Amino acid sequence: MPHQGADTVTTTDLHQRDDGELIEVILHAARHGDVEAMTRTAAEVSDMTRNWAAHIPWDDFAALDRSGADGELAQIVADLTEMWEPAHLHSPVDPDEEYALDKNAYDFYRPAGRNLLARTEDFYGWVQARRRTETWQYSRVLEAAPDSVAQITNDLGRRTRGINFNSQDYLSFNTHPAIREAATRAMRDYGPHSAGSPMVLGNTRISDELEVALGELVGLEHVTLFPTGWAAGFGAVVGLVRQSDHVLIDRLAHSCLQQGARAATRNVVRYEHLNVEAVRQHLVDIRSHDTRNGILVVTDGLFSVDADWPDLVTLQRVCREHDATLLVDVAHDLGSMGPGGTGVLGMQNLLGEVDIVMGAFSKTFCSNGGFVASNSPALKQYVKMFGGSHFFSNALSPVQTAVVREAARIIRSPEGDELRARLFTAIHALRDELTGRGLTCMGEPSPIVPLLIGNEKLARTANRLLFDRGVLAFMVEFPVTPTGSSRFRLQVQAGHGPEEAREAARIIEGAIADSRAYLSSAFGSAPR
Amino acid sequence: MYDAIVVGARCAGASTALLLARQGHRVLVVDRSSFPSDVISTHFLWPHGMSYLNRWGLLDQVTAVTPTHTTIDIVNDGIRLTGSVPTDLLREHFRDLHGDDSGVVQSYASVRRRVLDEILVEAAAKAGAEVRTNFTVRELIVSDGRVVGVRGRAADGQVFEERARIVVGADGRNSFVARALDLPKYDERPRCTFAYWSYWSGFDLGSGQIHRRGRLGCAVVPTNFAQNMVLVWGPSEWSREFRADVPGNTQRALDFVSPELGEVVRTRGTREERIYGTLDQSAFLRPLHGPGWVLVGDAESAKDQCTAIGMTHAFRDAELVSAALGRWLTGETSIDESMAAYEGRRRSQNAAAYYDYVCTFAEMRPYRHDELQLFVALRGNQEETDRFIATHADVAPVSEFFQASNLFLLNDAAKESSAGYAVFDDFAATSRMYQQNLFA
Ligand SMILES: Cc1cc2nc3c(=O)[nH]c(=O)nc-3n(C[C@H](O)[C@H](O)[C@H](O)COP(=O)(O)OP(=O)(O)OC[C@H]3O[C@@H](n4cnc5c(N)ncnc54)[C@H](O)[C@@H]3O)c2cc1C
Ligand SMILES: Cc1ncc(COP(=O)(O)O)c(C=O)c1O
Repeated sequence: MPHQGADTVTTTDLHQRDDGELIEVILHAARHGDVEAMTRTAAEVSDMTRNWAAHIPWDDFAALDRSGADGELAQIVADLTEMWEPAHLHSPVDPDEEYALDKNAYDFYRPAGRNLLARTEDFYGWVQARRRTETWQYSRVLEAAPDSVAQITNDLGRRTRGINFNSQDYLSFNTHPAIREAATRAMRDYGPHSAGSPMVLGNTRISDELEVALGELVGLEHVTLFPTGWAAGFGAVVGLVRQSDHVLIDRLAHSCLQQGARAATRNVVRYEHLNVEAVRQHLVDIRSHDTRNGILVVTDGLFSVDADWPDLVTLQRVCREHDATLLVDVAHDLGSMGPGGTGVLGMQNLLGEVDIVMGAFSKTFCSNGGFVASNSPALKQYVKMFGGSHFFSNALSPVQTAVVREAARIIRSPEGDELRARLFTAIHALRDELTGRGLTCMGEPSPIVPLLIGNEKLARTANRLLFDRGVLAFMVEFPVTPTGSSRFRLQVQAGHGPEEAREAARIIEGAIADSRAYLSSAFGSAPR
Repeated sequence: MYDAIVVGARCAGASTALLLARQGHRVLVVDRSSFPSDVISTHFLWPHGMSYLNRWGLLDQVTAVTPTHTTIDIVNDGIRLTGSVPTDLLREHFRDLHGDDSGVVQSYASVRRRVLDEILVEAAAKAGAEVRTNFTVRELIVSDGRVVGVRGRAADGQVFEERARIVVGADGRNSFVARALDLPKYDERPRCTFAYWSYWSGFDLGSGQIHRRGRLGCAVVPTNFAQNMVLVWGPSEWSREFRADVPGNTQRALDFVSPELGEVVRTRGTREERIYGTLDQSAFLRPLHGPGWVLVGDAESAKDQCTAIGMTHAFRDAELVSAALGRWLTGETSIDESMAAYEGRRRSQNAAAYYDYVCTFAEMRPYRHDELQLFVALRGNQEETDRFIATHADVAPVSEFFQASNLFLLNDAAKESSAGYAVFDDFAATSRMYQQNLFA
């Protein structure tokens, strides 16, 4: 009963010595075998501490062998010392390693000071600590064409060679003879340079053909090219959305879309990943107080580090019901999956049905570049004028345009089906082997195989081990993924043999197991 | 022969015994203490901790004698955030972890352990568990590599031996069960805080106050007996110097972290008990289960006090393990499946992220420029302030708040600038000053 507690409160004496002082006395007495003093002092130790340190035989000190021959006194000294000595004193750590494993990039996002140059030093110190500890996964360079195997150098100048899941070339076009031939031909016909914005004289006849081919692939006639996929996403959003408009964006949509939304308006709502019902509720909410302004709903098709996709049929319908416009980024799925390479749109029977589609060529089409497509010639002209990254940026080079046009042709041909079949054989081999080894592959079978790690420390040390073990895999952490859900993003190519994929899975599992042992970590990777 | 013997009868143990007994299992729960009694803890219960008590029908008993509030003040280097844990996040938390969201309450409280643990033990007894206090387990009975029971000694010296299908180690950080099984520790994080606290009467500030400045923190929370739990904490590296003058340094820390709170305590407060303290708070995980045994509460994983979460986590463990064991005891699943389900929840990604959050926090480094700027950005943004508080308390997943797109948006939505806060005046000099041991 609580009121009994009220009685006992008066029994504690305000002037009793604190437990730290008493324990020092006990320690001193224990070292001298003075069990009487230990017993006397133990009686003064608070209930709080006695009930907490239940491993100390507080009530039995009198019965201890004062000679210490049985080791019990020594055990008590050790246990009490452990309680009153800062624990880190007896387990020293490498400060570089601690610093490198501890921070994340966001800790440096708002540096202090008015000197813009000097205040980057703090971040640089962390980068250097991660480099010294070989846990910096960024800025590695290729020594040769990135095939299913690649040779690379890290930014400390160390080389390695491995099965390559670090390049995005889903249909292995980079080594395809017809693609290379297209590049050579364009080089011969037009030279390396486009020499202007597409609004001026940067485009060639090939650009027009490419726009037509892409329009046929997604079923939307009016296509605009951009110099990168990033520019396409950013340009589409800022081209259309104004200050008083609203953007509803999937929390995990690509950075170019998030940044575009932030640049366009303060009215940005990030909705729960893939949750169409949440979109509907937000739309109802916005429309209940704003019937005048536009709403752009933004999502990826295949999500680039989660390998899942939304129910676009419902999403598009919900948008129409509330006079909202849908923009879908098909950077990863177009060309690499779906019937005839039509990606998630084709898989959901939505060719020609989505308001606005954008994509990037950098994953499957073997080049820089991106596009925005819709059924509206007016929208096309508008985005060209007001999406700054189209108007005010040099056009794709003739070589790039020719490569993408050839890639689009192969993607839609029977050979494209064959390449996608090979790609998916490798994908299944990789996912099955990883899953069979107790690891967690996120999302659905697709060219992106996200292997969940979770904890950043584990991911960074596993990545360090992997470097020398013959697998190249990109470790993603904040800001690409939320804190605490880092992962390896494995990007599969049609050129990967299934046995190669299985071999890689074995190696990865070994590196994770060793890294877990190194950190002595007991955490698994179930999400909740 | 019992279905389960639970060693330890406080937040983890009494709750586990209570829930198993309510399912109709034969349960023995023992503790070497008698009740009511205290154990080291500053005994703050976040709303999900209170919600567990409510789910078990015990909350009214607690609130009848304990002040409760829903909004809390968190003040970092003078930047004040006031908020509460939102109900929808609480519901989501319970649905995710336990599959149902009944009984959610938004209030928090600071409940003396002599009050709370007594309520738990009595509830366990009332539910039909056999409770033996003043009973120390001194040996695990092992047969064919399986724990099958316990031997121990009652206060009068009498020796007991009891057997059960499973032994639950709920015996705290220094778990006897873990020692007897020679279990290793994983994910050890030696850096932690020292904490000193006591109980002051004479003032009532309303809601709870948690303040941080430099490498020190303090909290003042109303608790039972018309008193306030007043706590100061700092990095364990500074503990030796702090200990040289515990009462003096307690006041010095209060004055440094929050001059206003320091003044209230000095001029209006009367200390009612001695000052308690510890720095034995390094974090670790132990293996969760094995043949014939399973661990809950601090025995399975202890963390620093700095986010005041251990008791709530002990409640969470009790609900998870009793649900898992219940399925096994009734023959619905194998023990392996049941323990895998428990382990899946307890060693999840979210759990790992929060563990990292606490352990990093416990290093008590001065807040970085970035972190303080974030607090400024949160001011006036109630929804995200509340989400931040919920994240800090392990109601909402760390990964949902600390997500690039969210943090960038928080920036964009900022209503206040940092101009009014002294800490930003000469940030570099202030940070250097913060590194100096205040008690040296
Ligand atoms: C300074 C400090 C402040 C804290 N503040 C907070 C806070 O504000 N909020 C919060 O939620 N958490 C807090 N915690 C953490 C919290 O106190 C613990 O997480 C919580 O007490 C764990 O409960 P438990 O039941 O697992 O173990 P305990 O409460 O430690 O109980 C273990 C029980 O097992 C018994 N026992 C041990 N060995 C045996 C044996 N051989 N035989 C029989 N019985 C045995 C002991 O007598 C004891 O009663 C704090 C911790 C510290 C150190
Ligand atoms: C979903 C998504 N959209 C857009 C882009 C940007 O494309 P690019 O790299 O071609 O600029 C990427 C690639 O990073 C992406 O993953």
